[in-house]
This record gives sequence, structure tokens and C-alpha cells, in this order.
Amino acid sequence: MKIVNKLIHLLIPHESNNQKAKLLHNSSLAFLTFAFIFYQAVLTFLPRLGPKVLGYAANISPDEVVRLTNEKRVQNGLPPLVLNSTLSAAALAKGTDMINKDYWAHVSPNGTQPWKFFVDFGYRYRYAGENLARDFSNASSAVDAWMASPSHRENMLSAKYKEIGIGVVEGDMAGVDTTIIVQFFGTKYADSLPVAPVAQTKSATPTPQPKAVVLATPMPTFSPVGTTAISTPKPFLISPFNTTKNVSLVIVGVLLGVLVIDGLVTSRRRIVRIGGRTFAHLAFLGMILAVVLILKAGQVL
Amino acid sequence: MRNFAKHTSHYLPLLGILLLGVLAFALFSYDRAFQIAVSIAVALAYVAWGVMHHHLHRDLHLSVFIEYLIVASLGLVIVFSLIFRS
Repeated sequence: MKIVNKLIHLLIPHESNNQKAKLLHNSSLAFLTFAFIFYQAVLTFLPRLGPKVLGYAANISPDEVVRLTNEKRVQNGLPPLVLNSTLSAAALAKGTDMINKDYWAHVSPNGTQPWKFFVDFGYRYRYAGENLARDFSNASSAVDAWMASPSHRENMLSAKYKEIGIGVVEGDMAGVDTTIIVQFFGTKYADSLPVAPVAQTKSATPTPQPKAVVLATPMPTFSPVGTTAISTPKPFLISPFNTTKNVSLVIVGVLLGVLVIDGLVTSRRRIVRIGGRTFAHLAFLGMILAVVLILKAGQVL
Repeated sequence: MRNFAKHTSHYLPLLGILLLGVLAFALFSYDRAFQIAVSIAVALAYVAWGVMHHHLHRDLHLSVFIEYLIVASLGLVIVFSLIFRS
């Protein structure tokens, strides 16, 4: 009976809560807001305090990334890219560098450009490009995210590139286990030289310098042709994004439910009170619910 | 429902703003900075709408303003958390 009275007090307009569900009082809403902020702070600092259980579990195959990339290219009337093992090794080196030095950027903290990895592995490029992705659970969502971004899409669908290398690296970044995908695009310098007709001779022209074309600069991950796990695989990982999303859905869902009950009861009992418009709050929280459902884990750079 | 029918001219702009916000989120899923800007703009527009609506109905009180502010803040905190964790 006590529990029932508590629930009525919390969820339904009643004389005990001044004809407004306790959950909708300013004090309760403020408490919810601060409790959520506190929960986020715990999620952020948990890796430093306890066992490493936070992370994004992924099952990403470099071959799958290549297949999906070429699928998009063919759909857009472009020739597929050829998987180049040197580029893949370079992409893996870039991803490993990112994990080891804990940075999420195209250029490393010491100023190393992504093209240095091309050169270090002996890939003499005419054109070069890089796409990066992290925290995706599968190759398909990463490729879709790249395609949704104009600059990354430009890299994926550029006619200048002939070869591709993929590096997938699993590791710890800022205390959270994640999987980073490095997508290197390239055209070798020799591939881009025009072929002179046998009967003609041409005067010597200055050798053009290979130039890097960065059509998009996402964050890379580093792994050899296959996948390299830098940290030991964990049997169970809690995704910070998914737990935040689930908690958000519960909070918004409960508030929407209480608002609906509040609106029905006050309307039926013709209760007049000073307060915000139930419909306005319903509409706003409905928008928040839609946004929570739209947002997905994963970043591209 | 009665309230909505009586004040349609007030609620339609609010619904329009909120729908545009959702649309912007969906279309610019790759642009984090834009999503943050849209969230803040919609939250501010929501509070501004509340203030104007209640002022026109002559029932604007400090507690009403704080209510809209807290609801907007809760929404912003939830959306920001997800944007920064995505």
C-alpha cells in the first residue's frame, strides 16, 4: 500500500503532490539532470579507477571494408580499387601509431603526416588519401558513415585513386577499448605517367613531383593486412554509448509516459494550475527521443 | 487536445522548430559541430517559445520559466552525452 501511494505521488496528479506528478516538479527534473551528469562523469572516469570494462566490441574485416568500398564505387560508375598489401601495411602502421600515442587525428602530435607512412613503406604515390573511422561495430556502418560525409565520400569515389589499403587496429584509446579503421587510398607515381606513342619523341619535361591529395582526413587506426589487437581481447565490454543511450531512452520514456498521464488526468478533472504546457513538454521530449534513436555509435575523421 | 486546438497558432511554430531539429540531426549525422549547434539552438528556441507563450497568456511566472529551462537542460545533457560518446 505504501509503495502504491509512493507511485501515485510520483506519477499521477494527486492532492499529495499539489495536483502535479512529483516526477514533473522542477526539483525532480533538476535532480534527474544532475543525476545524469553524475552518471556520465562516472562513465568517463571509470577506466582510471577500476578494471577496463568500457569499450566498443567490433568485428571488422579489412577485406569486408574493401568489398563494401568497391561496391559503392561500382554503384557510382567507378572502377573498383585494387587491394595493395604495401598500402595495408602502411595503414596498419598508422593505426598502431595512433593507438600507441593515443591520438585521434590525421596528423600525429609530433607533426607526422599520414603520407609519411606511405613513403616509409616504399609506396611512391602520385595521389594519396586517408579516411579514418572508430567505434563502429561492423564494416558496413563505417562505410555508410564515410559515404554520408561529403569529404569522405569524395575520397571513396575519387577517380584519381587506383589502389586501397586497409588497417584495422583494436586498442585502448583514452581508457576505452575501441577499433579504429584506417583507409589509405593511393595511385602510384608510375601509374599516372602518360604513355608516349612509339613513333614520337618528346622533349624532356621536368619530372612532376608526387603530390598527396587529402580529400578527407578522418582518424586512422593501424593494423597490418589483417587485424591487429594491441591489447588482449576482453571477454565482456560495456559500450559507453549504448549504456548512455539505454539510460536516456528509459528517462525520456518514463517522462513522456508521466506527461501523458498528467495531461489526461488534469484534462479530465479540469485541474487549473500554474505550470508549463504539457503538450509543449511532450513535443520537446518527443524530439529528444527521436534524436536519441537517430544517433549511432562511431566517428569518422 | 482542447488546449492544442485553442492555441494552434502557438503550437504549430513550436512543432515546426522541433521537426526541423530532428531533420537536421538526421541529415548532418557526420557533422558533430553542426549537431551541437542545432541542439543548443532548438533548446533556446524552446525556452523562448515557452516564455513568449506564457507571457501572451498572462501566466508567466518564475517557476514556469525555470520549468522550461530545466526540461531544455535535461534534453541538452542527454543529447550532448550521446554526441560526445558516439
